[in-house]
Order: sequence, then C-alpha cells, then structure tokens
Amino acid sequence: MKIISCCKIVPEEQDISVNNDKTLKLDTAGLKISLYDLNALEAGVELAATQEGSTVTALTVGAKVSTSNTKVRKDILSRGADSLAVVGDEALAGILPGETAKIMAGAAKKLGFDLILCGEGSADLYAQQTGLLLGELLGVPTINSVGKITINGSTARVERDLEDEVEIVEVPLPAVLSVTTDINVPKIPSMKAILAASKKPVEEISLADAGYSSAPASTVLSILAPDQADRKREIIEGDSEEQIAAFAANIRKILN
Amino acid sequence: MSKMPIIFVFSDKKDRLPEIIAGALALGEDVCAFVVGTDEDAQYAASLGAGVVYTFAPQQDVMLEDYAPSFSALVAGCGKKAMVLLPPSKRGRALAARMGVQLGAAVANEVTKVEIADSVTVGRMVFGGLASGSEKITSPVCVLTLSSGSFEPAAPDASRKAELKQGAFVPPAIMPKVVGQTPKQGSSVDLCKAKKVLCVGRGFAKKEDLALAENLATVIGAELGCSRPVAEGEGWMERERYIGVSGVMLKADVYFAVGVSGQIQHMVGANGSKVIIAVSKDKNAPIFNFVDYGIVGDLYKVLPGLTSLLK
Repeated sequence: MKIISCCKIVPEEQDISVNNDKTLKLDTAGLKISLYDLNALEAGVELAATQEGSTVTALTVGAKVSTSNTKVRKDILSRGADSLAVVGDEALAGILPGETAKIMAGAAKKLGFDLILCGEGSADLYAQQTGLLLGELLGVPTINSVGKITINGSTARVERDLEDEVEIVEVPLPAVLSVTTDINVPKIPSMKAILAASKKPVEEISLADAGYSSAPASTVLSILAPDQADRKREIIEGDSEEQIAAFAANIRKILN
Repeated sequence: MSKMPIIFVFSDKKDRLPEIIAGALALGEDVCAFVVGTDEDAQYAASLGAGVVYTFAPQQDVMLEDYAPSFSALVAGCGKKAMVLLPPSKRGRALAARMGVQLGAAVANEVTKVEIADSVTVGRMVFGGLASGSEKITSPVCVLTLSSGSFEPAAPDASRKAELKQGAFVPPAIMPKVVGQTPKQGSSVDLCKAKKVLCVGRGFAKKEDLALAENLATVIGAELGCSRPVAEGEGWMERERYIGVSGVMLKADVYFAVGVSGQIQHMVGANGSKVIIAVSKDKNAPIFNFVDYGIVGDLYKVLPGLTSLLK
C-alpha cells in the first residue's frame, strides 16, 4: 500500500512575539513540524507496519524558507517515513488552504497513493480544511476527525470521533483521512531513526510538475494581534494575613 | 454594508440553527435552509426565518457529509452570488470543504466577522488565537462555518411560513458506508460558557494540591480550567479544560489564575474575560501585566485563606 502522510512546517508558536504595530514577529521563530501532523506521520508508519510491502512518503508544501530547512526535513524523516516529497516555492508564502490543497493534489497524483493522511489542522492557520479539500479535489472519499483506522483489503474501516457520537464508516480506497490527535501517541525518534533519516531520499517537486497555476478564491489581507484590554493592575505584594484579606476584599467587589 | 443576494444554511446540530439563520438574515436578502429530516424540522427552520426550505429524506447508511453534492447542486443552480453558512462542527467543516471544491468557492472556518461589499471579507483567529486573520474572498460563492457566538440566535416564531420544497439526494461518485454509530458522553464541561473560571498552572507542586483550587472554585462558583502543561504535560486535567492557544478561548466574567505564569500563548485564551485575577509567587511573572487584581504570594497560603474569607 502506498501511503502519503502530509505535514506542514510552521513557526514554533512559543517563539512568536507581537510587534508594536500588532503584526506577528515570525522571522525569529524556530521552525517545526505542525503538532497535529505528527499524528498523521505516526498513523502512516503504524498502518504501513500492518500492511506488508507498504511505503510511506511524507509530503510537505510551503514557502521555500520553511520547506528547505534541513533540520525539520530530517525531523520529518526520523519519524519513520521512507521518503520525503517537498513542494517548496517562494510564491507559497502565506497561501490559504485552498491553494495548498491544489498543490498537494498535483503532488499526490505524481507520487501515486492508496491512502493519504493529514492532521486535523495546522498549528498556524488551523483552518481544518486542507485534507478535506485535497480528497474532494482528487475525487476520492475524504473524512475528517478520524480516531482509528483499520485496513481490510481495498477498504478502510474508520472511527470518526464527532462531538456527540462515534461514527464507524467503511471507506473504499483510495481515500484521504484527517486524523485526530487521539489516534496515537507519536513516538520520539530514536537515535537510530535520527541517523537513518539523513540517508533517506528527498524528492523536490516543482509547482509546474504539480500542475499548479495560482488562482486563489481567497487571500490573506492581514494577520494582527488583538488589542489588549486595559487592566486595573492592582497588585498586592506579599501574603500576610492582612494582605490576603485585602485581596479577598478586592475579589468580593467583583463577585458581588 | 451590502447584502448577499442569497444565503443557504444547514446545521447538523439543531441547537446551532437559530444562530446560523440569524447570521443569514443579517447578511443576506434571501435565506434558504437545507434540512435532512422531517417536515417538522422544515417547519422549525421556517419558524426561525428561512424563506425557502428544502427537505431531504434521510438516506440509509449515508454520512451527512455525503449530502454535499445535493446541496451544491441547489447552490450552483441559483445562478447568483451566494453564501453558504454552516456550524463549525466536524460535519460542518467537512461539508464546507467539500462544497467549496464542488462550487469553486472559497472556504473559511470559524469565522468571527463577515463584511459584505464588492467582495466578502471574513475574520478568523489564526496562530491558535494569538492573532486575527482577515481574508478577502473573490469567488462569487463562498462557504463559511460561523464561529459560535457570532450572531444572537433567532427566536422561533410559528407564524412564519416558508416555501417548502423537496430536495433530491445526489449521491457522490464514490460513497463510504456508515456501519455503526454510538452516542458518546459529551464532555461534562464547556468552559466557553462558564461565567467564572479558576485556572490552575504549573505553580502547583502535585496533583493532590489541586484540591485547594477545587475548594476555592466551589466557594466562588467557578469552573476549573488549567494551563496547557497541566493538561498535556502532567495530565492532571482533561484536555477540554486547557485555556489558550488551540485550547479554550474564554468569554468569562471572571478569570482567576493560580500559579499560572501568563505566557502570551496562554493569555490569548484568557484575555476575553471581563476581569482577570491572579495569584503567583513570582513578582515578575508576565501574568501581572494582564491582571485587574493580583497578589504576589504563595498559593499554598493564599488559597486556603481566600477560601475561608470568601465562604
């Protein structure tokens, strides 16, 4: 079985600070695999282990400055995929899921697949669309919120973890499934896996090879931090009985 | 602000329909509802203000999302600029994405703001709530899932009548089969709706000590929440309770942080609260930049003291 596990390379959210003009300072933030995609990578590797002769290709699409980062590339490959396919281009900075999905669809057709796995959303935009758009663009069944996958020949039996119910669905393959963070616990790569990662093949796919021409239905106008509310900042320094009583008096004012 | 000529609505959850129809009435000239269910469900959509209601008979073993081609056919058939409004549920998102591709339409999830002029501009949270993104939509049709709380829910009025039509099911080319469904115990807590939230952070040395916070929470009538490390690192509380980036975004009257350092990634979830109170022994903790009332002190001393004083 040919499995593609998709992952996005995103800025480390703990490193993001806010500039004076309310824009986000992203250029000094480190890069990492989007948290939710670790589950897609792990699910791919786990499923491949149950299906003899399977391969897992990790696929990442994005601005060259992110996708060319060798440390993150190695991190992706150390999670167990056999190879990595990259579509990286300057033109892809700040694109929305509609465009990402088109590029991924082109790349996936080129790579060939029986099953494509995505995370439930990206850590930056968290639009929770890309996997669903991808499946629909490829004309195959596409299901989100998948908490369990079992392969039976040419069908995947999946459990969808919805708000009020668990739905069990038999999905003919090929298909695109977006998995939840509860589907597995991503393993921390072993030293052996990290060493092996640098020997694994990386395939660069150009936008032209992915058959992509830009025609976005929506574009980002701005990304700005919200205004901070004015706060009273009445702070008592010390925890003597009197100070705790004064603090309690402050709280009582609000509660009543 | 101009209005969208027609807005199509659907909700997989009945309790979200009043809000979505209210949004459609505010943003559109005509409102057309899709209902998968009975005539009674159609009457309900009509009572909320939909002018036209298409009722689809429920299909055996079919995922609700597989109505996407049926809905898309009607949207495409209207021949106007149009908007589709859905709830931000898992099914809502799946329908949105699939209809988006089928209609060549832009898709935006958990939209908090919609502006209609020559084109549609939507606002939504990005970077886990650290910032708000504004997106300009250029396609003639767009599909949005509306963030909860964006519109005041419409009140049902049984005297409202809609034009009732029968919808035809258009199966997708390849259709998965639903083979089982089990209801699950919903999370007992919805912090987004809590008026008071007491949030515990890393300042607690061990899980048993959370009893101190529980006691105070009971006295002041607050729900318990936590910072991300308490839920994900320590596993002391369920994930539904963590506040901040990719967790809960509070709209509480009072947010009370205990032993929380107050990193921006946490505070984006708390800043929507009207009043912020904090206890931390670290005078330089960032949390004190965001508070209305704070005390620099040992939580193991402050919490029992407060609990008895506020009883």
